[in-house]
Amino acid sequence: MKACLNSWKLNTFRPVGKGAGMSDIIVPPSVRALARQKGIDLEKLAKDLGRTSIAREDLDGGKPAARPPSDTSYWDVDHSQFGPVTEEPMSRFAQVAAANLGAANARIPQVTHHDRADVSAIEALRRELKPEAQARGVKLTALAFQAKALARALREFPRFNSSLSPDGKTLTLKDYVHIGIAVDTAHGLMVPAVRNVDRKGLWQIAAEIFDLASRAQNRKVGPDEMGGASMTITNLGGIGGIGFTPIVNPPEVAILGLTRTETVTVWDGDMPRPVPMVPLDLSYDHRVINGADAARFVSYLAALIADPRRIMV
Amino acid sequence: MSDNHADLIVLGAGPGGYACAFRAADLGRNVVMVDPRATLGGVCLNVGCIPSKALLHAAEVIREARHGDDWGISTGKVSVDLEKLRAKKESIVAQLTTGLVGLAKRRKVQTIRGTAQFTGDKSVEIDGTTWTFDQAVIAVGSAPVRLPGWPEDDRIWDSTDALELREVPPKLSIVGGGIIGLEMATVYAALGSKVTVIEFMDQIAPGADGDAVAILHAALEAEGVTIHTNTKVNNVKATKATLTLSCEGAFEGTIKADVAIQAVGRRSNGSLVAPKAAGIEMDDRGIIHVDAACRTNVANIFAIGDVTGNPMLAHRATHQGHVAAEVALGHSAALDTSLIPSVAYTAPELAWAGLTQAQAKDQGIAYKVASFPWVASGRNLASGGGDGLTKLVYCPDSHRLLGATIVGRNAGELLAESVLAMEMGATLEDVSLSVHAHPTLSETVGFAAERALGTLTDL
Repeated sequence: MKACLNSWKLNTFRPVGKGAGMSDIIVPPSVRALARQKGIDLEKLAKDLGRTSIAREDLDGGKPAARPPSDTSYWDVDHSQFGPVTEEPMSRFAQVAAANLGAANARIPQVTHHDRADVSAIEALRRELKPEAQARGVKLTALAFQAKALARALREFPRFNSSLSPDGKTLTLKDYVHIGIAVDTAHGLMVPAVRNVDRKGLWQIAAEIFDLASRAQNRKVGPDEMGGASMTITNLGGIGGIGFTPIVNPPEVAILGLTRTETVTVWDGDMPRPVPMVPLDLSYDHRVINGADAARFVSYLAALIADPRRIMV
Repeated sequence: MSDNHADLIVLGAGPGGYACAFRAADLGRNVVMVDPRATLGGVCLNVGCIPSKALLHAAEVIREARHGDDWGISTGKVSVDLEKLRAKKESIVAQLTTGLVGLAKRRKVQTIRGTAQFTGDKSVEIDGTTWTFDQAVIAVGSAPVRLPGWPEDDRIWDSTDALELREVPPKLSIVGGGIIGLEMATVYAALGSKVTVIEFMDQIAPGADGDAVAILHAALEAEGVTIHTNTKVNNVKATKATLTLSCEGAFEGTIKADVAIQAVGRRSNGSLVAPKAAGIEMDDRGIIHVDAACRTNVANIFAIGDVTGNPMLAHRATHQGHVAAEVALGHSAALDTSLIPSVAYTAPELAWAGLTQAQAKDQGIAYKVASFPWVASGRNLASGGGDGLTKLVYCPDSHRLLGATIVGRNAGELLAESVLAMEMGATLEDVSLSVHAHPTLSETVGFAAERALGTLTDL
């Protein structure tokens, strides 16, 4: 057991480190006593509140240190009073994902930019390559083209291929291009990453996306196959929709959402022309990317998709 | 359950023990308090704080009377009736200890006179009678340290003997220049003894601020006290005629004395309660270590006050007593401060709390000091006060008060403001913007803060 003199956990002047001065927490004696009665860890509370002094009001309402920053008590409703209900527990996987999504949405100021891209050239190419695809046993999806085009755009706009440190003080620019693919599985959302998409051909990209997606369905993706992406693509094209606002997947600074390709009327002068267009929804971290850059980036990406030859040049 | 059972037994009725017993009783516990003394109050009330303050007050009256000539007030030669003074002191002590008996009765705290020793972690033996208990609090205090190698002699006193006021020895040597030694020097110098203080460390009142101590040192010398610092007593010889103290260090030689007081500190009484029988850990200095909630290593046994180590001060014991009572009754409490004020009731008084300048320097803590000399205090001059100093140690960045030392009349009272300021995390601005009444000695605290901030116009 430690001596009384040395075990005082908190008092008004415990020096912190040599030469550091008195950087500990200021709490009046009555508030220290109240905190002890309420079982509140004052050092943790001060840290959570980002403060060096604690007042009586800070202790009100139980234990703020152990709660999320906002009040969710009004969500706590007995739904059965309105009709029959059943309950199911949230899986551990879902709870972790929920916490991460909540943090990303709460802490990152996000904006979504909407545009669309002409996919007639890509569709034509896919039709042309279909026999070869069948021969190779690889399905050449539109998503493979989107990933390849995105990789090229990321090389052109390095700031979109970056991560902001949690303290917001350092931006890390990445000299590699990995594309995360959000996969809808029975047990929740998974995001495996295809590595070095800028250096791979379409056949390989398509094969890897197919492989990762099918393994994700069976939860057979290793931890080293997830994370580290430059940007994530979340593709709802096979389901439907005309646009949505995906949540940025930190530490990435942007996410590209795709919905179902729609044939729209485009006017060439006086002549209406049917053009298949894919909606592009880019949500981005406004701390790193401003709106004009986002518009330029998406417009560049749309041009690559409209004329995939430009990916090569 | 035997007849002799206590829900909570408090061993010791000093300021820690009775505070604990009374608090526990107020919270609804059935309490038994055990103490070997005939009266309650322990060392503090019987042979410590209170009788010494009575004698120090007498000393002050004597000095004031002697120094009245300056003011045109002559009292003639001051004579002291030792017997009457002793009786007055004892009546003050009796008034307080009887008062405690009343307080105990009102709370239905049962008091037993006797010496308790543990026989297990649920039982004690009080002079042959076994008592069982659910919870116990050890509050048996401390006793003066006896120096080894000294002869057995009635002329060698400890603080208890000194407070008995048996006689005023013509030549008095005091070994130990700490608070107790200096208070005794103040009393006996006023009563007429030729006092010599011998201190082993490089200053009297070791641990206190050097600038403040220098003022006290000079004042004691002005009252005729001889002070030898950096000096050690090697040998003491007792002959029929005199005591001879052989010294080495800064002072080499012998000092002849009619009486010598040993005032070299106090030792925990922990071993007196046979703590091992209850499984309580105690170190080789007799100290029972406790946590901030005053718990020993045995779950149902607490310890408070001097028995738990330094600083051995009544006000620390009292606070620990309340903590132990509350924790024993299931409340959440702790002594969570290091701000235990120290006061020497000398003339002038010396009081300090928190960090001293030297401690801040040694511990590598960023600090600055601000002081206000009492020669510039109107109230001090107008009341015939001598030299004094108010000195604050503060954090240069936040301006928070980190320590305060005050030397001068009523320093012990004046310190309270600074202690509260430190507990509240107050800054120099807080102290200086609080209006202090004029003219008061308390202004010196505000002035010291203003001086640090550059807003002072009184200097």
